[in-house]
Amino acid sequence: MPFEVPFEAVTGTVPGPLPPLPEDLRGYDSRTARLAQMGLREVEDPVRASVARWGAHRVALVLGTSTGGIDTTEKVFFEWHERGCPQPPTLPSDFSYPTQHPFHAFLDATAILAGIAGPRWVVSTACSSSAKVFSSARRLIELDLADAVLVGGVDGLCNTTVRGFNSLGVMSSEPCRPFGADRPGMNVGEAGAFLLLEREVAPGQAPMAWLRGVGETSDAYHMSSPEPEGRGALEAMKIALAEGGVEPAQVGYVNAHGTGTKYNDAAESKAIEALFGRETPVVSTKAYTGHTLGACGAVEAIFAIEALRGGWIPAAIGAHPIDPEIHVHLPESVLERELQFVISNAFAFGGNNASLLLEKA
Amino acid sequence: MGAPDTTLRLAGAAVFAPGIPSVDALFDPSARDPEFRKPVVDIVASRMKRATSIATRAAVHVVVHAARQADWPLDSFATVFASQHGEIQIAVEQMRMMREDNGIVSPARFKNSVHNTAAGMFSIGATNRGFTSAIAAGDHSFPLALLEAWMLLASGEQERAVVSIVEEPLPEPITEFSSHATLAVAVALDRAEGGTRVHRPERLLPEATQPPALDARSFEGFEGHTAEGALRILACERESRSTHVSLSPSWCARVDVP
Repeated sequence: MPFEVPFEAVTGTVPGPLPPLPEDLRGYDSRTARLAQMGLREVEDPVRASVARWGAHRVALVLGTSTGGIDTTEKVFFEWHERGCPQPPTLPSDFSYPTQHPFHAFLDATAILAGIAGPRWVVSTACSSSAKVFSSARRLIELDLADAVLVGGVDGLCNTTVRGFNSLGVMSSEPCRPFGADRPGMNVGEAGAFLLLEREVAPGQAPMAWLRGVGETSDAYHMSSPEPEGRGALEAMKIALAEGGVEPAQVGYVNAHGTGTKYNDAAESKAIEALFGRETPVVSTKAYTGHTLGACGAVEAIFAIEALRGGWIPAAIGAHPIDPEIHVHLPESVLERELQFVISNAFAFGGNNASLLLEKA
Repeated sequence: MGAPDTTLRLAGAAVFAPGIPSVDALFDPSARDPEFRKPVVDIVASRMKRATSIATRAAVHVVVHAARQADWPLDSFATVFASQHGEIQIAVEQMRMMREDNGIVSPARFKNSVHNTAAGMFSIGATNRGFTSAIAAGDHSFPLALLEAWMLLASGEQERAVVSIVEEPLPEPITEFSSHATLAVAVALDRAEGGTRVHRPERLLPEATQPPALDARSFEGFEGHTAEGALRILACERESRSTHVSLSPSWCARVDVP
């Protein structure tokens, strides 16, 4: 972890010092902005081509995050507090709250780095944030407000989330084991993940996947616990399937939200079993990455797309031995299998649910 | 192809600010009430409101009041919550706890620290299981929330939507970075005929040759506020004035009042 906390915790940390932003963007510096820059490099070429093809103003940017650049305010707050909270507050000269902490700070930095000048905003619905960006993007394109939309999710490790989840008693001091018996809880992770959605395929290019449906619902139950029967999750998956005109039996793999916490996994598995039965493979890739919070929707959409493209389903690592109360199929090893459709789930505080239906291109 | 020219009916609206309990009080100083200081959230139990910010309760307050003005059941519409700074008061309070309370933060505060806390509180209190989102876009948070709502309605995905925008002052030690007063505004929109029409938010592109003349009035005490664009829409309706209103430094929308 890039900071110390007074308890044991396993986190999914991007190793080493993160590369700094270019000199002219240093005013935007935060861990989240640096992760955004790192993720953006992975899609640099297609984004540049899309901007050239459609024009910068016809390419939109919709990103998910739960923390923005909060790590920057944490640092200056702690330093100010150590100095005895002098009045009026004096803060380091290189700290600029408006361009470092709020959600739009890393959004603006990303737009500049990507050369995007279309509409841009952040969806911040905690851990469903970067799944919900897909539906915003689809509306922008379908209603002809944009020709392409760069979507994604970015969240960096910070005291607020690591200590916050610890306060809820759901953090694990060992690697998480989603759906496993006696699972110890979750691991907070960090990531920057981007996907480019376009109105139509560029000449000579092949799409990576198709977005066929997005289901968005609310549990209307509790701020931090899922509805125990998974009704909101079930409805989100049903909506995604209905939008795509796809039957449950056509879905070859469910990329579960699967945080590794007792209550999330129990509720989600009930919803998945109710819709897909006990044979459809279910995997939580949080066992590979940790829970990347506002970035997990985009990170896990990429896992799902790679599964569609490669014809394989990742192993549900950590799930075995399986919780005896959970009855979905959690593959113990990688499965090689042709897939046509995959569902990817992201659920959040506030009972906020989003399910993506993705199709092989 | 071009974007559809769908316009939306303004079916209801609500405002919250200390001393300003209603839309009428916004425009009529004699209707203000200095004793009115806190948002009224009667759809959830008191225990759920503990450890929530004024911003959360103000956002829920205005969504509920706008829907009631529209005479809509509280479980019958989509919601889009917007704020530039969101739950910053709780975020900084947690930082204080990290330094003063053995590094431990309050679980109640933590679960209410997410940007969609108001969305969650409203959906729970209203038993609204439908679409909700929480967005941020700096100074442009309101027009882009309005655009999201417009897209939900113009696409036929939703029949009704309530958009809210809220800010409260920044806490120490970052107070100096914003002068936002506590203010929340909500507008209830649908595709029904008649009434005040709100057009799709439009960007004011630098290269535009003939930008529309804009109503960019200021509201005393809320100059430059993220929610000021929403107040301008309400002012058009109150004055029966059709015009383009400035929603933010680079977004506007046409409002037509019969």
